[in-house]
Amino acid sequence: MKHSIIVLIFILAILYLPTTAYAHGAKIEYTVATNIEIVAKYDSGEPMAKAQVSIYAPDNPSTPWLTGTCDEEGRFSFTPDTSIPGTWDIQVRQAGHGDMIHITIDEGSVSGSSSSGYSTGQIIIMAVCVIWGILGTALFFKRRKA
Amino acid sequence: MHIPDGYLPTAVCAAGYAIAVPVTAFALYKIRKEGDPREKIPKASLLTAAFFVASWIHIPVPPTSVHLILSGLMGSILGYFAFPAILIGLFLQAVMFGHGGLSTLGVNAIVIGLPALVAYHIFRLRTLFGEANRTGTGIFGFLASLCAIGISTGLFVVLLINFIPADMDADDERNAILALALGHVPLMFIEGAFTAFVTMFLLRVRPQMLIGI
Repeated sequence: MKHSIIVLIFILAILYLPTTAYAHGAKIEYTVATNIEIVAKYDSGEPMAKAQVSIYAPDNPSTPWLTGTCDEEGRFSFTPDTSIPGTWDIQVRQAGHGDMIHITIDEGSVSGSSSSGYSTGQIIIMAVCVIWGILGTALFFKRRKA
Repeated sequence: MHIPDGYLPTAVCAAGYAIAVPVTAFALYKIRKEGDPREKIPKASLLTAAFFVASWIHIPVPPTSVHLILSGLMGSILGYFAFPAILIGLFLQAVMFGHGGLSTLGVNAIVIGLPALVAYHIFRLRTLFGEANRTGTGIFGFLASLCAIGISTGLFVVLLINFIPADMDADDERNAILALALGHVPLMFIEGAFTAFVTMFLLRVRPQMLIGI
């Protein structure tokens, strides 16, 4: 008697379970997520292949929110949690080289800046200015000596 | 070879400055003892310019690429002037190009500048052959730069491997550091040959530039 009750409950349970699963059918939810892709390159132009990425959320600047590795082309993409607005810090490092960029995420809008803020032209002009100053120093002291 | 901001713990950056300051003071003291420093400033300025742009000259060493450093050449030709010159060059590279960083300026000055002073003392050994000996100048110029890059790479690797940031995968990072260090082995010979060439050339056309060094 006792056995048959247990068996009966078991059979009922088996019959019941699938019906609950099928009764609701399929359901797909969606949210619009902001995907951020970064590309990390050395200033020689070659990609930082397999470089390590650390992403810091605005609410915790000391522990990474996510860590990962770039692909062979230096690419890495992630979906930030838009419920944490503020400035996200993305650091890419490899073998003692690396840089950090800051991306601001506010209620769905994303703004950021590239880490290399200078164009090649600007870099050349800066280098020329510095060298001009150095040459000027050299010539100045050469003249004093004479 | 330039360690950027955000890599080393604050204590190490502070220690870098704590060592770099007395070394700079010592170098300046030595420069003043040698006589009128203004005489050598033109030479030091020109080499600072060369050092400043050298980090843009990339040499492909598959699978990576390394850039010229020229610390051995600076040490060989400038003597104690090399250290303040490298310090100024590193400062300009950090603020202009973002090569290295201001927090790590002290550490980088030690990693690149101290081996330059070692190079100077190696280059001085050429006087065993006589100051005007071309072969001796070439050999010790070569050895000076070879050792400067070798010591710099050694210091760089020891610092980075001991202070891998906690949130990085230590094994991956260690392998990447060692791969980069290996890429500096050909650079040792390239810079060695370059310094030998430049010093032998100077010995022929402007021998007074090497006198007293």
